[in-house]
Amino acid sequence: MARPAGRIENRIRRLRFDAGEMTQKDLADRVGVTRQTVLAIENGKYFPTLELAFRIARTFGVGLDEVFTFHDD
Amino acid sequence: MSSGERDALTGLITMALVFVLFVWRLSGQHQAGLFDGPQALQTWARSVLILVAWSIGIAIAVAVAFHILYTSLTGERTDDRRDERDRDIDRRALTGAWYLLSFGLLGVIVDLALGASAFRAMNLVLALCAGSEFFKDAAKLVLYRRDA
Repeated sequence: MARPAGRIENRIRRLRFDAGEMTQKDLADRVGVTRQTVLAIENGKYFPTLELAFRIARTFGVGLDEVFTFHDD
Repeated sequence: MSSGERDALTGLITMALVFVLFVWRLSGQHQAGLFDGPQALQTWARSVLILVAWSIGIAIAVAVAFHILYTSLTGERTDDRRDERDRDIDRRALTGAWYLLSFGLLGVIVDLALGASAFRAMNLVLALCAGSEFFKDAAKLVLYRRDA
């Protein structure tokens, strides 16, 4: 049986803005990736590993489900 | 530009230069008759080993020249970090290159079965190695650009 399609969205851009307009570079440095990776995640072109997702959430002091949300299509 | 993207770009330039060098040198030696006779494969192998050493030198020179040019033209330093996205792109590009190499080798074996010479087969294997390496770097560049 085929897996139903889903969509993952993120609120990283919003969370960065709320965190005193943190730059992509700042976030990248804090979680240990390149700025290009943060950009790709924000644009929904790359889905991070669970570990990186937790690191991002922890950086903003929120839960994982406040950064990433899953929608059934 | 991340280090992964930079490596892919310098890899492409290096492979293009190395391929031209190999074709120019080996075809020149072939036309000069160096690969005729019973020692043909041995002579060919020695030539290839010398060219491999040259290739390493070219790779270092291209990497250094690219770094200096990029830094002086853009004024920005490349990010030397490699993260999970780099490894993901590496894996996807390597998988494609591996398929290309595998099917290519199968083709060479078919070619041999149909009567091709060992000399021709070895040249095809060499071209396949270069082609799959070129494909890997090109695929990486495309993935970096597409997924940005």
